[in-house]
Amino acid sequence: MQGSRAAQFELYKLYAKAMYNVALRILNYEEEAEDVLQEAFLDAFTRIVDFRQETTFGLWLKQIVINKSINYLRKRKMEFVSTDEISEVPDEDSFDDSEMRLQAEEIRQAITQLPDGYRVVLSLYLLEGYDHEEIAHILKISENTSRTQYMRAKKKLKIILETKGMRDE
Amino acid sequence: MNNRLETFVKGNRKAFDIMEPSAELWAKIEQGLDKKKKKKPVKLYLWMSAAAAIVVIFSLAWLYVGKLQNKDLEIADVSASYAKKEVHFAGLITEKRDSLAIFASANPELYKKFTADLRKLDEDYEKLKAELPTSPNQTFVVKAMVKNREIQLQLLKQQLLIINQVDDYKRVNQI
Repeated sequence: MQGSRAAQFELYKLYAKAMYNVALRILNYEEEAEDVLQEAFLDAFTRIVDFRQETTFGLWLKQIVINKSINYLRKRKMEFVSTDEISEVPDEDSFDDSEMRLQAEEIRQAITQLPDGYRVVLSLYLLEGYDHEEIAHILKISENTSRTQYMRAKKKLKIILETKGMRDE
Repeated sequence: MNNRLETFVKGNRKAFDIMEPSAELWAKIEQGLDKKKKKKPVKLYLWMSAAAAIVVIFSLAWLYVGKLQNKDLEIADVSASYAKKEVHFAGLITEKRDSLAIFASANPELYKKFTADLRKLDEDYEKLKAELPTSPNQTFVVKAMVKNREIQLQLLKQQLLIINQVDDYKRVNQI
């Protein structure tokens, strides 16, 4: 297995940055994100025998990173939904983002200012490309809750961007 | 449906992955990998010592149980012919003791003395029996045990004789 160290480094170089950003978006703390990344790569390399070619290595690693990040969040005693939000029906059409200022760096920074629950759902949906069914499974919440949280997160994001825009002008 | 934000993010996805992990991270992961490699022989060593511990515990238990069984060692385990003799004597002893007991109410003082003598012999017998499992010369101990029984029997015979005579004497005097 000694020769595989070079191969492991190649995989690391290929995925480290993307995975780091995934973890950082969920956790919002650089130190924790690095811990997650370290654990995830160690896990992936030691469990590589379990890895079946059904998905790509990248997707598999991403799953590990996301699960570990969520666990870290849970350790912080973070709750993904407060109970009064569960029953609400999502109102997808009521939000209009046509006037949203769209600049990647501004959006990226605004996301970091979202509360934990909003940030996680929005990141998973908007940036990691999971649908609400998958998010519900990952966070162990209902699909409806995931939709509601996402809409709320989007609204909040718009407000953050608007206040920032006003300050800049 | 309003998807401007989603479309924008999709189109600019790369611009969102701009943070970099620190340069030392790979070294940490490598360290972790080395540690995990070293862990394997440690694990094997652990398993082996666990297995050894189980073997030790079982053999200790076996020895202990064996010793417990040894404590119940009977004369028959050492010598069949002596055992036969012992059983024979023991039978006669109970018989004679029963006969002696009949005179007990008539001669309580005498009976007390006799039973005290017998008890001493009985105690000696129990001591010998306790010695038997650990004794280096078991046939010797068994011989002593049978001899003890024989003496008990002879003593009883004499006691019966005496008590009979005393009884006769008493009866003659009564008349």
